Amino acid sequence: MISLRNVQKIFGTRPAVENLDLEVSRGEIFGLLGHNGAGKSTAIGMMLGQVWPTAGEIRICSHDVTARRQDALQKVGAIFESPVFYDYLSGWRNLEILSHYTAPTSKKRIAEVIEWVGLTGREKSKVKTYSHGMRARLALAQALLPQPELLILDEPSDGLDPEGIHEMRQTILRLHKEFSLTILLSSHLLNEVEQLCTRIAVLNHGKKVFDGTIATATKNQNWTRLRTSDFELATEKLRGAKFIRDTRDGNLIALNENVGTDEVVRLLVAEKISVFEIAPHQETLEDFYLTLMNKN
Amino acid sequence: MFFYQLKNELWKLFGKKRTYIGFSMLLLAQLIIILMLRFYPPAHRGLTHSIEASGFFGAQYISMLTIATIMAFVLAYTLLPLYVALVGGDLVSKEYEDGTLRMILSRPVSRVRLLFLKWLAGVVFSFVLVVSLAAGGLIFSGLMFPITGGSFTQFPDDPTNIGIFPFQEGLQRFLLAHAFMVLKAVTIMSLAFMFSCFNMKPAAAAILALSIILIDRILMEIPFFHDLKEYFLGHYLNAWQTFYFQHLWYWHLVESAAMLCAFSLTFLIIGLAVFQVRDIKS
Repeated sequence: MISLRNVQKIFGTRPAVENLDLEVSRGEIFGLLGHNGAGKSTAIGMMLGQVWPTAGEIRICSHDVTARRQDALQKVGAIFESPVFYDYLSGWRNLEILSHYTAPTSKKRIAEVIEWVGLTGREKSKVKTYSHGMRARLALAQALLPQPELLILDEPSDGLDPEGIHEMRQTILRLHKEFSLTILLSSHLLNEVEQLCTRIAVLNHGKKVFDGTIATATKNQNWTRLRTSDFELATEKLRGAKFIRDTRDGNLIALNENVGTDEVVRLLVAEKISVFEIAPHQETLEDFYLTLMNKN
Repeated sequence: MFFYQLKNELWKLFGKKRTYIGFSMLLLAQLIIILMLRFYPPAHRGLTHSIEASGFFGAQYISMLTIATIMAFVLAYTLLPLYVALVGGDLVSKEYEDGTLRMILSRPVSRVRLLFLKWLAGVVFSFVLVVSLAAGGLIFSGLMFPITGGSFTQFPDDPTNIGIFPFQEGLQRFLLAHAFMVLKAVTIMSLAFMFSCFNMKPAAAAILALSIILIDRILMEIPFFHDLKEYFLGHYLNAWQTFYFQHLWYWHLVESAAMLCAFSLTFLIIGLAVFQVRDIKS
């Protein structure tokens, strides 16, 4: 659905995106992560033909965005952070204006979408009277009007309160389920990405530093969680026995190869150290992300 | 589809309160001029004197057409360029500044088509503004001065040049001059529109356009540069006033119309070229 090959964007002398390869398959919810200025919005801008790439190829729905932008965006809807509209016009008029840039849209279709996003009754009010949450719904409505197959969401929860964030998350899941949409989601909210996405890519200073499933990102291959009566003493004994090679966060140990947790427990019990818990450590996306950023 | 999109651009333009500032101020200025000419004796005396010093009856030529023409001469050089430049400078820059342009450009609409639609909306605004200038002039002066009197025009830059017409011909000249004035308004709007396609604030685009018009005018007014007048934009922008010459200067009108169309198209094409290569970011 989305394919970026060796894409590069340089603003003046500053590279914003470097040699980016990305593949998003049909039906996926794909997360794009990275700090401010990592290149996420530039990458999204290039996907939508708003920012011209310095080099590389970008294909959306099998069409080259640079050469055939209109064809590429025919079935694409997009929402940007802090959605802006023509505040002095009604919600309905805004939807009419924006949808007509894609194709003529019937009043029936506009009414359907307004109902779907839950704005019925307020569609004739001026947008300047809308709350932030209502604007987010209107943004969703304008993205859904062309009956998209691909939805690009750039920080859709930006500025929403916790209830709004929850509602947006449920809406994204509903869209994915009901319309089988492919969704590209750029967000700072790692918890949100973890709950929604099947696959992620992480950008750091314009370069991709990770691309894989959430399961791969959060699967811990090295760390074991150990809770004992005295972690310091326990790790000293385990080091002495050459059972571990590293410790972290006051409760994580990295076992040496061919050392089992049963051996660790036996040793600690023999040393009269109580063991309350020993289990493989499941990392959160946040742990993974922070480790990745520190590494890079 | 094209007409739907144009209709939407007009909704965006005419839905904004600030669009109406130009109309309101034009009407206000006209109202003040009318009241001064009607009720401020020195102004009335001065006008009568100008007409009678040229050998005509003041009572016959202090009329709706004469007063409406005086207002047109004043406002076409001052408020008209200001408001078309403000709107032209807003058309692209304001949408970029507000962030709505990014929303539009996530749609499968080409940048060329989008800009052409916006420019056309600017053309419609320029047309409506000139029509309101003409209509306001006729209506206000018709309320305070005799309607059927003849038209007397004395050119400010050459007081010996006088245009004097009976009512019917005067009305025709007045309407033709305003029709030509639309070209002037469109050209200034296009100049501001061109600047608004660059990466700059709406006000900067309008100020740049107005500065160019003013510099052009200043240079044109310097006596030593009179031989070069064909090279100044103002020479063509102000061709509308030749409709008040006693003998119509057809060649100059045709040449000016062609030049103003060419200038407008050039400004549009430069704007398109600049906008086409720009990166639209938040």
